Formats: sequence, structure tokens, C-alpha cells
Amino acid sequence: MIPPALEIRGLVKTFAAHRAVDGIDLTVHPGTFHGIVGPNGAGKSTTIGMAVGLVTPDSGQIRILGHDALRERGLTRALTGVLPDGLDFPERLTGAELLRYSAGLRGLPRATATDRAAELIDVLGLAKGAGTPLADCSTGTRKKLGLAQALLHAPRLLVLDEPFEAVDPVSAATIRQVLRRFVVGGGTCVLSTHSMLLVEQMCDEVTVIHQGRVVAAGSVAEVAAGGSLEDRFVELVGAEASGSAGLDWLTGAR
Amino acid sequence: MSTQLTAPGQLGGTLGAIMVPARMRATMLRRSLREHPGPTVAGLVGLLAAAWLIRYALRGDQHTLGLLAGAWVLGWIVLPLLLGGGRGRVRPAHLRLEPIGGVPAAIGLLAASAIGIGPAVSLVALAALPVHAARYGTVAVLVTAFGAVLLWLLGLIGSAIALEVVGHAGGPAGALLTGVFTGTAMGVAGSLWAVFPWVSVLLVAAPGEVVRAMAYVPSAWPIAAVTGPSGQGVRLMATLVGIVALCAAAYIMLVRRVIAAGAPFRPRRTTAASPAAAEREWLGWVPAATRAVVGRELRAWVRHPLRLQYLAFAVVYGALLAGLPLLSDVDLLLPWAGPLAVLGAAAMSAGLVGLDGTALWLPLTTPDGERAEVRGRALAWLVLVTPIGVLLTVAGILLAPDIDPLAALSTLPALLGAGASVPVWVSLLRVRPVADPRHPTAADNPTDIVSVLVATAAGLLAAAPVLALVIWGPPEAAPLLPVVGLLSGVATWWGGVWLADERFARRGTAVLAAAGQRSRPPETVLPLTWDMQWYRENKSTAWALGLLTVGWIPVIPQGLMPLVFGIDSGWIVAGHLSGSAHTAVGLAMVGLGVAMLLTGLVLWDRRPQPGGP
Repeated sequence: MIPPALEIRGLVKTFAAHRAVDGIDLTVHPGTFHGIVGPNGAGKSTTIGMAVGLVTPDSGQIRILGHDALRERGLTRALTGVLPDGLDFPERLTGAELLRYSAGLRGLPRATATDRAAELIDVLGLAKGAGTPLADCSTGTRKKLGLAQALLHAPRLLVLDEPFEAVDPVSAATIRQVLRRFVVGGGTCVLSTHSMLLVEQMCDEVTVIHQGRVVAAGSVAEVAAGGSLEDRFVELVGAEASGSAGLDWLTGAR
Repeated sequence: MSTQLTAPGQLGGTLGAIMVPARMRATMLRRSLREHPGPTVAGLVGLLAAAWLIRYALRGDQHTLGLLAGAWVLGWIVLPLLLGGGRGRVRPAHLRLEPIGGVPAAIGLLAASAIGIGPAVSLVALAALPVHAARYGTVAVLVTAFGAVLLWLLGLIGSAIALEVVGHAGGPAGALLTGVFTGTAMGVAGSLWAVFPWVSVLLVAAPGEVVRAMAYVPSAWPIAAVTGPSGQGVRLMATLVGIVALCAAAYIMLVRRVIAAGAPFRPRRTTAASPAAAEREWLGWVPAATRAVVGRELRAWVRHPLRLQYLAFAVVYGALLAGLPLLSDVDLLLPWAGPLAVLGAAAMSAGLVGLDGTALWLPLTTPDGERAEVRGRALAWLVLVTPIGVLLTVAGILLAPDIDPLAALSTLPALLGAGASVPVWVSLLRVRPVADPRHPTAADNPTDIVSVLVATAAGLLAAAPVLALVIWGPPEAAPLLPVVGLLSGVATWWGGVWLADERFARRGTAVLAAAGQRSRPPETVLPLTWDMQWYRENKSTAWALGLLTVGWIPVIPQGLMPLVFGIDSGWIVAGHLSGSAHTAVGLAMVGLGVAMLLTGLVLWDRRPQPGGP
């Protein structure tokens, strides 16, 4: 039996008095697209951070493709590609140098690294970013370069935190195509996003997190329960789509 | 209705446009003076210095006066780059949307720059030139006064150009300049005992070499114009006018470019991908992951403004600390230029992890990334600093062939070993992230005093076996010194690497979290004036400051100087003793100083935080 690509059990993380992640269970089947959605501060990034080893959990288990992520760190890191959200890069490197550096860290042969980097730069439209220091790249270009470095070593599990943030529509379409090919080829992709439309278009399964807990999980159709995912999401997180009350001064006669 | 302005109207409009930046600057200055006492205090200090210069001009040497006036103008150009003088300044970019041409904009901006404490104090200081020329008659006073105004304009325009081109670019030039200046200031401060006698000689009468050099320095020309032959005077003053006109033309072009381009002048940012040479073929014996980190680090060292600043500081500081004693004919320290620069580079590298923000996530998501990160950082430092240390040491040995270089040469590998790895551990242990890792400024310096002291102490500890053998060892042990230094360096390298490995492998996520903690608690605000109330409420902070300031005196001049270098001038206590009493008092002084510094550090760490309980 093929083990889950990512399996999380009883994951807990507390920052000071705030329990950011409160006993999350999550199973991502191999060869699927899995979306993690939730309102701001729900615990998505912390969960993803713990899954890839950037945050130490207080308790819980994490298994990547059958391996214990906390004990077999070297192996699980080799199998995983990561694009975190909001973290810095080596800002003095150009995009191309970042890819070479990342390839070097993972011990890729130089010829392989050069070919793959050139292809990724070409496919993701990174010709300009490849020659520009990361400190001077736009947010969208940084996201694309981050994605390129996550793909460079051909991982089996791709964990992406807000991969489409600030990316232009044309590049976003290209990225979606690349990720689909990755999943069709047997890879697994976990992504966190605020875009329900994206989840409906791309994901096979979705997990909804709210206040550090899983409030719904399953196939997109199951979670949507016959309606739109966005309406269901608003319902699940217990908030009304506000904006209709108050602000009379804004709409009144001038 | 015509929108065309008549000629007087045009003139009025241009004059009005010229006055706008000056009015903006005057408003900014008024507000700044109301809110901060700093500029007023600096202005008072400047006025005292200007008064001293005028007093010196009455009876002093003309060449020395020219040198001091030149230093003043140079300081006016350079200091604002280092002290954040760009803040509160009206810049060409501010006029980008205004309907104003390049020339009126440049005149207006220069008029605005002239409003402030610095320009006013500088004008007072340069009045020293006509004061000195008073002995040569009225015409001489008028000529030198004109020359003083030209020098003042040179400072004004030079400062405006420097701030626009270097200060706001945040590029390597500004960083190097800052490093060189701070290194010079600290080097001179650390060699006051040697500099003072030379300055005393200079103030009485400039030595021949200074007189010859001053013929080419513009600040000496106004007085030379009235003391030399009349033809030479006209030529010198015309050249000075020409230099000022050239600077003004350069500034007008700069302003025009900023206004027309719609963007401030910046150096090209795009960097071509490095050729294969950058792949560090010569590091083939190193694991690929470590090699990748070495490559990243070396690129960061040559591109990151703060790293460049630190390196320039260390080199200049080491070179001056060893070289300035030559002013007092002491060449004993020259072979130590390399070891001192290496020690400085180690101290300045104690906060590098904080410069990179949260970029450490990359090694934390790659197999064995932590080991590669630690070793790559240490190795890159070694690759970069070793040639500098060796070059400075060799230069020192060549300049002082009579001094036995064995102790300095043997200390060098010990310091290199400790300097490469211990700062990596320290900066992983005490992460002080910069506010903006993408575009840091000199004000974002993340190095803290504890980290610097630990890195320095590690270097001294590594050098201790060599120094102990030099001081107390038998003469026959001298050939062993290089071996001892090398072994000590290797041992401290592995010690530092082991500690850093432990820290990063076990607490990597904590290090990453600390690197992302950019909202620091507010810094302790130190009063600029005597405030008894503050001292009563912040006794531990005041004690810490006192101990950290004074603690160096027993360690260096009272301890290490008589013990290691045999310098025993009048006020050094051990200098009045001999034999074992000399050594004992020197050691006791080092012990006392270290105790004072450690107590100061403990008190500093325990100081009450603003907004705290």
C-alpha cells in the first residue's frame, strides 16, 4: 500500500498564550492536489511550516511519504520542495544564482542543475529576474523564483504557501500548467491559498482550517456540499459575509 | 486670458521656485530643532571647534591652518553620509513634479542646503582664514575671505553631490566610505598616545613634507595666494573658482538628470550571471553543499553594503592601529597590522546571520543543510580574510625589518581559525535581525556589543598560547610558536564549528524564529545632556555604560601594552615596576578590566527596558 504523501496527526503549536495549531489531523494522498484554506491567522502557515521543518511542533506526528519528518529529516527534506510565504531569500544573489545555490545545497550535478535552471527560467518567464538581485525583484518574481527553486530537485512532495500571491495572470496560468504536469507525473502538491476559485479549479481535496483546528476535509465537492466553495467556507468559519451594515456616511447624499 | 507670463513675471516665478526648497528646508529645520536636542548640541560642539580654529589662526602655522580648513571641508562632505545627514534634507527627487528647470532647481536646492547648523558653523570656522591673513593687510583679508567663501561653497556643493550620489544609492561606495571613515576614527582614537605628539609638532610648525603636499591642497590656496608672488595668487584663486564652478556644473547635471528622468540616480542593479569561474573550482575538495554556501557568502561579502562596511572598517582599523604609532617613531606594532585586522574582521562578523533575515529557511529545508551553512560561512570568511591578514602582516614586516615578526606571524593562524568559526556560532546564538534585509542601511547595524566582545575574546583566547609563550616562554621555544599558533587556530576552528553545528542543528527553528522577530523592543534612550533624574532612575544602565567605557583602560594601556609590547610610558602603573612585580601588576590590571567589562555587560543586559514592567 502506498503511504500518504503527507500525514499529520495531533499536531499542536502554541506561541506564548496563543494556541496557533490545536490538534490538527491531515492526510494528503499521493498524486493529488491538496488545498489548505482558512481565514487569516487560522494556522495554515504554521501547519505548513511544521510539516516542512521550519517550525518545531509542541506535539504531534508528521510523516512524509511514510517517513517520520522529525526523525528522518535528511530523507524527508530530500523528498520535499518548499515555497514558504513571507520569508527572505539570500537577497544579494540574482535569480539564476539562487537556483545554482539551491542546486548546490541539494548536491545536484552541475550540468543537471544548469539545464534545469535554464528550463525553469525559460518556462516561468524569469529571464529578467535571473539577472537581478533578489532584493530588487518584485514580489511576483520572487514567488516564481521561489517556486523554481522548490521544483529544481524534482521533489515528490511540493508544499507551497500562497504560491499565486502577487503573480500576474499569465504567469499564474503557466504555474498552474507546470503544477498540473507535476501531479500528473506522480508528484503531490499541497498549497495554502485564500482563493477558493483556485482550489475549485485545481485541487482534488481540500482541508479547511479555522482557529487552529480542521473544520472540514475531503474532496472539493464533498466540502462544498453542493454549493460554491466560497459560500461553504464562509459558513464553516462561522462568519457572515459582512459589509452590508454601517458606513452610511459613505453612501449617503453629499 | 493668456497663461503666458511676462518677463518680470517669469523672473518672479523662477525666483519663487528657487525659494520654495529653502522655505521647505527652513520649516524642516525648525521642526527638527524643536523635537530633538541633538543638532543643537552638535552645533555647540562645532562652534567650540570653530572658535578654537579661529584662535589657532591668530598665531598658528599657515600650512597647518590650511590642512585643518581642508579637513573641516572634507568632514562636512563625508560626515553627513555617516551620520544620516540626508534626513530632513530637500532632495532633487522632491522637485520632480514641480514645473522647474535644472538650474533654478539646483540653485534652490543649494540655497536650502545652506540653511542649517552645519553650514553656519562651517562659515564661522572658515573665517579663520581671513583672521590669519589680517597680518598681511586689508587686501589679504578680502582675498582670503573670498577664498573662504569658495571653500564653503565647495563643501556645500560637495556635500549635496555626495549625499545624492552615494548617500541615497546605498551602494558599495557609500558602504566602503563609511567603513573607511569609522575605521579611521577608531584607529586614531586607539592610537591617541602616538598621534598626540605628532599633532603637537604639526600645530607648532608643519613639517617639510606637509608643506610640500599642501601646495596641491585647495584649502591652503587662499592663504598661499596672499603670501606668495602676486601672479601665483591670481592663478591659485582662479583655479579655486574653476573647481567650484566644475562642482556646481556637476550638481546641476545631477539635478537635471533626476528631475528629467523621473527617478533618482541609482547605480545599475541588474547583475549578469556569474561565469563558471565563480563556481569555485578550487574548492573541489569541499562537499557540494558547503561549496554552494561559500559561493553565496562570497557574493554577499562583495555585494552587501554592511558587510563591505565591516570589512573596510576592519582593514583600516587594523592598519592604522599598527601604523599610526610610526608618527611617534614606534614601529613595534607594524607586523601586527594583519592580526589586528583579522581580529577586527572577526568582531565585525559576529552579527552576520541577522543581516540575512529569514533566509536560513533554505538550509533548514535541505538535507544536512545546517552543517553546510555553518562550514560554508566559516570557510568563506577564511577565504576572504586570510589574504588580507597575510598581506597586511607581510607589508608590516617589510616596513619594519628590524622587528621580530615571529609572534605576529604565529598569532595570525590562531586568530584566523577563531575568527572564521566562532562568529558564526555567536551570530546564530544572538540573532539581531535588521529591519529590512532587502535594503539595509548603516543605521540597521545588527551587531551588538556582547556578540562583538565574545568574538573578540575567542580570538584573544586562540592567540593566548602564542602570546603566553612569547611573554613567559624560554627563548628556545621560539621555533615552536608557528606550530602552536596553527594548532590553536585549528582547535578553535573546530570548537567554533562544533558549537555552531550544535546550535543550528538542535535549535534551527528557534534561530529562524529569532531572525524573523523584527519588531524589537524599544532601545534604551540615553540622555544627551546631564539628566540627574534619568541617572537616578537608570542606575544599572549608567553603571553599565561607565564600566564598559572605563574597563578598557586597565585591559589595554595598563595591562596588555606593558605586558605584550613593553610600552611603559609615565601613566602606566606597571611601567614604574620591574621583574615579576611588573608582570603581576600588568596581569592584575587585565583581570580588573575584564571584571569591570563583564560586570558592565551583565548590568547592560539587565537594564530596565522602556515600556517594560
